[in-house]
Amino acid sequence: MKLREYEAKKVLRDAGIPVPAGFLIRSADELIPHLDALGDTIVLKAQVDVGGRGKAGGILMADKKTAVATAKELFAKEIKGLPVKEILAEQKLTIQKEYYLSVTVDRSAKQPLILFSDAGGVEIETTAKENPRAIRRAVALPLMRDLPPFMLRELAGKAPKEVMPVINKLYRVFADKDAILAEINPLVITPQGVFAADAKIIVDDNALARQGITVNRDLSEREREAEKHGFSYVELGGTIGVIGNGAGLTMSTLDLIEYYGGKAANFLDVGGGAESERVRNAVRLVASVPSVKVIVVNLLGGITKCDEVAKGIIAAGISQKVIVRLAGTNEAEGRRLLSEKGYEMLDTMDLVVKKAVEVAA
Amino acid sequence: MIYGDKKTGILVQGATGKQGEFHIALMNEYAKAVGGRGVVAGVTPGKGGQQVHGVPVYNTVKEAMHDHDIGAAVIFVPAGAAADSIMEEADAGIETIVCITEHIPVHDTMKAIAYAKVQGSSVIGPNCPGLLSPGEVKMGIMPAQLYSRGSVGVISRSGTLTYEVVDELTRAGIGQSTVVGIGGDPVIGQTFVDVLARFEKDPETKAVVLIGEVGGNLEEEGANATDLPIVAYIAGKSAPPDKRMGHAGAIVEGGEGDANSKIVRLKKSGVPVASRASEIPAMVRDLFRCGC
Repeated sequence: MKLREYEAKKVLRDAGIPVPAGFLIRSADELIPHLDALGDTIVLKAQVDVGGRGKAGGILMADKKTAVATAKELFAKEIKGLPVKEILAEQKLTIQKEYYLSVTVDRSAKQPLILFSDAGGVEIETTAKENPRAIRRAVALPLMRDLPPFMLRELAGKAPKEVMPVINKLYRVFADKDAILAEINPLVITPQGVFAADAKIIVDDNALARQGITVNRDLSEREREAEKHGFSYVELGGTIGVIGNGAGLTMSTLDLIEYYGGKAANFLDVGGGAESERVRNAVRLVASVPSVKVIVVNLLGGITKCDEVAKGIIAAGISQKVIVRLAGTNEAEGRRLLSEKGYEMLDTMDLVVKKAVEVAA
Repeated sequence: MIYGDKKTGILVQGATGKQGEFHIALMNEYAKAVGGRGVVAGVTPGKGGQQVHGVPVYNTVKEAMHDHDIGAAVIFVPAGAAADSIMEEADAGIETIVCITEHIPVHDTMKAIAYAKVQGSSVIGPNCPGLLSPGEVKMGIMPAQLYSRGSVGVISRSGTLTYEVVDELTRAGIGQSTVVGIGGDPVIGQTFVDVLARFEKDPETKAVVLIGEVGGNLEEEGANATDLPIVAYIAGKSAPPDKRMGHAGAIVEGGEGDANSKIVRLKKSGVPVASRASEIPAMVRDLFRCGC
């Protein structure tokens, strides 16, 4: 789950990384007591869970006199369709030089990857394309608490020495906060020293509980409900509902829908060993999406038993058409149950998907 | 064979749990059918002295190693304890460690894999179905009835999609040498590169089916590192960016790892890529026919 900027900056501040003076406000009036602490120019940053907020008008500058009015203006806005409920009001820094710093997971090395770039304020993907020599990288042994000094020197290059402790501190934040990304972009040099002008931290979804995070904000309400039932669910907006077991098989079913010219409404993996109740919940959840015209169930039984799946489909009792492919453990019994109730069954995933695309059209 | 054969003694960590117990029975049913050793010991701290389907349970891996010749371990413990299990097995000197457990925090996985590497152990998974060499050995949860012995190796990030492809291969009369589920997490022990290196040295394996997913670039890395003939399939062509498609590793981040660019890169390296899973058997046949 992605932390909001003010949350990420608090994490950095607690870790000893300098961040600009700033206050979180939930109404324009809350800004008044902080005006003196923020200096002459104030940056107002909408705290919305969406990328590209600057370009969408979510960051405004103001001087001391106009700041409250500007905050009011920002609170009244919608940024990419999201209401502004929180604003981070920060002092404006006098920037002399900008750098990029991040720690992430290198899948190929199976280790943390640290990136430092002389081109700060620019997305790292852009720098990688346009100016790859500006990026320096190092992989760290995850069993080490701190990065060795040589690595800090190599990463920092000609940047001022004071960035080196920041690199090591961010590496510790990455480990301590179960982050899959900890990014400071830009890391700025000012007359007052080095500061993290912006911060992005994404926490591993598998570690939210031990990080004390109880609600995953990145999920929609339906996605959260699905998680409670023990399956993974992603909304995609089309007309064909999809239920499968196993992430790969379910993704592959979505791809087939696209191949045959249809549009999937969702991804739903019921997981291994699903019993009838879980299947019933899955079918009902998918059917509750208004755009869904037909539902494809693609189940390959291993630990999952086909008769349990059949019972779940029947128990859901939904109005949309359900087209089923069942194979594997207890297949014959599952088929018998469904055919008694008049459900349409086909032998392969290609056939069920083709049929569903026809029905949805 | 790669990673193990009939003679490999298997240890199950989390032997007295529901999953562990269930799969000890299935693994040993398979071992009995093929004349292999199967699961020889189980480990659950505090449950030493018990038996699960006739398999003795120990408190620690080292105690089990003292009494038995063990070459591989399969882990069924909950996510919070799984990294610890990997390290305990690596420390005891077990060569192949298969971790079935899902939802392990990635920092735990990175540490456990780094530790296992220092100890000289190979980790398969986590979040994987394990591996199966038809007629020889089953380590994990794959449904054995779908498999048949032959000369095609299969490496996959998926579970059920692997069974789907194996089923299609078997129905088409194409047997498998070893099928390895390497796992759906962003960080996994054995990657395509590692398993392909084993297949290259395996006289039983003549061609490989590589089943990938969106996220990362491990598939391309593997395909570029081997001379074996390969057919590839990548799931997730229709996956939107920044959405995790079930597996923690199946996510397109920052424009990286999307299926279409993966497919383009694989094709550039001369690897034929199936657009549907059902096309794989015919494409494998073509590999054998042209002898390339």
